[in-house]
Amino acid sequence: MRGIIRGTTMVAAAMLIVGAMYGGALAADGIKVGVLLPLTGAQAKFGEIEKRSYEMAAEEINAKGGVNGRMIELVFEDDTGKPDVGRSGVEKLISREKVPVITGGYSSSVTAAATPVAQQFKVPFVISTGSADDITEKGYDYIFRINPPASEYPNAVKSFLHEVAKDVKTVALLYENSSFGQSSSKSFEKDAAALGLKIVVKEGYQAGAIDFKPVLTKVKAANPDMIYMVSYLMDASLLMRQSKELRINPKLFVGGAAGFTLPEFAKSAGDAADGVFSATLWVETLPFPGAKEYFNNFKKKYGSETEYHGAEAYAAMYVVADALKRAKSITPKDVRDALVTTDMMTAFGPVKFVSYGKKTQQNKLDTYLVQWQKGTLEAVWPTSVATKKYVYPTPPWDKRK
Amino acid sequence: MDVFLQTLVAGILKGGLYALIGIGMTLIMGVMGIINLAHGQLMMLAMYVTFVLNTMGVDPYFSLFVAMPLLFMLGVAIQKFLLNPLLKTETILPENQVLMTVGIGMVLTEVVRFAFSSDYKYITTTYSNQTFFLGNISFSSALTIAFGIAIAFTVAMFFFLVKTDLGRSIRATAQDKDAATLMGVNTGRITVITFGLGSGLVAAAGCLLAPVYYIFPDLGGPFTAKAFIITILGGLGSTVGAIFGGVTLGMAESMGATYLGMEYEDIIGLTIFVLVLLFLPGGFKRLTKI
Repeated sequence: MRGIIRGTTMVAAAMLIVGAMYGGALAADGIKVGVLLPLTGAQAKFGEIEKRSYEMAAEEINAKGGVNGRMIELVFEDDTGKPDVGRSGVEKLISREKVPVITGGYSSSVTAAATPVAQQFKVPFVISTGSADDITEKGYDYIFRINPPASEYPNAVKSFLHEVAKDVKTVALLYENSSFGQSSSKSFEKDAAALGLKIVVKEGYQAGAIDFKPVLTKVKAANPDMIYMVSYLMDASLLMRQSKELRINPKLFVGGAAGFTLPEFAKSAGDAADGVFSATLWVETLPFPGAKEYFNNFKKKYGSETEYHGAEAYAAMYVVADALKRAKSITPKDVRDALVTTDMMTAFGPVKFVSYGKKTQQNKLDTYLVQWQKGTLEAVWPTSVATKKYVYPTPPWDKRK
Repeated sequence: MDVFLQTLVAGILKGGLYALIGIGMTLIMGVMGIINLAHGQLMMLAMYVTFVLNTMGVDPYFSLFVAMPLLFMLGVAIQKFLLNPLLKTETILPENQVLMTVGIGMVLTEVVRFAFSSDYKYITTTYSNQTFFLGNISFSSALTIAFGIAIAFTVAMFFFLVKTDLGRSIRATAQDKDAATLMGVNTGRITVITFGLGSGLVAAAGCLLAPVYYIFPDLGGPFTAKAFIITILGGLGSTVGAIFGGVTLGMAESMGATYLGMEYEDIIGLTIFVLVLLFLPGGFKRLTKI
């Protein structure tokens, strides 16, 4: 019995000493940065990509001497994808961890619930992903957002249609019969109406179908100038394969969802993927310093691929570090003041917090149009960031080599 | 007119494949009265066999020669070691053989998920995207070949059942198991062979579907449901009925998708299922008498 007590005491003492050393060292040198992300739950896959990107960025920053000699120490808080958990997560970061700045924010609903807390306690929150428009429309002076708001995601498609594909008059709209597919198709309908496009076919389909030919036959008969598809990965590739089989020749194919930008799409669809456009927020071929390096390093370090969510997180870490470097002192107030004057280039693109419309402290970024060209996803629009010139109109199937 | 013809062609080609999926199930159901609810999962397994062989450079059509015997053996083992013992066990539920097949299906799905993860796999061949045209109507090369092979298998199956001793024994067992036993048919062996044959045939369907579709562990369930519908449409145990059932389902789905909307694809299949049960309880077998 006495042995056990002595053993426990010694272990406890050892832990105290080690803890004191660690705590002491960090308290002297480290700067805590709070990160709110969904690390468990349905959104955990993207939460993980973002967490790894934050960690990678923080490691790089620390390796180069940290923030004026002090190391960045990330404090992750799991919001589990639920708004109330996200709220209390931010409260915890502020009151217990006493972080001078918070970043992250994945889903719109969690971000919308968490940002008022940061505002109330006057701790700056740099949003990396949460995209609902109204988050930056409340006039909060402690809330900043790096990614474009949701309503601007299709901007590249719109401007492309407006400036290049002027002869597109009719559209076929195909969407998976899920809530995501339905809401995306509704918002596209609005955009189409604003652009004066006529929707000639509008068809929902059940995800996982073997045969899209009946629907595509209808599309072929309607002969639209453009086909817009809201589809996940494998439906996307079957749609393109069967469009090729039926030789449907619109002037352009546009993917409205992530399915069309994933590498598996091109591998599975083969040459039927060639020429397909898709809207996206970021792609590693964009000519931003560090974009390609980030993508390659991520792949090397974690053995899996990253995408635009990760790039947002990676850039957010650099933006926060930049503000911490420039801040007069590491207090929330001074960090906030430094964030206001942010003007830098990141792997995700230029970051500068501006006010426009109803939005305040919102980074204004282009969204991009990418196109599969010979098996590579190339950024093609806007031309300022293009890695290859767009191929428009898409050549008819029987004219391809 | 083109729209109609194209839809018809798409429906028939898909129907041929459906027939091959259904025929295995109809055989098992007709002979043993077991609804094999692991049928689609067996097909999924065959597709993974095809996939693995494909990574070694084997063409999906050649993997027929591997996947079919492999699945035949698996089917034999399932019947011999998992289903037959249940016949001897006293239980409250008379249909516990059916429940067993549900369990087998789940195990197969999860084993495959463990081995290959839930990621989508796909086989890209030179003919996956190939088509030829008759007039304005496009025919997918892969599906046309699949249709041809499916019909060949079904016809072969028909002659096997009608002309050979083993086939006759199978039909005898299907008609009256006790009488067949009294006439000297080893019905125990017949059930084992029948389950093997059913599994082998659905394996063939898997190999033929692999180049045009994609492969993931949860693919079995929907195809089990389709096979079940085809079996009921065609009438239990009838190979000719299975062809009619498969083509009917394929065409109904395609026509429905074109003229009603693709969202209703499954609803149409199931509506036909209910209508056949109500108005033609014996399925198409009643009409063909074979």
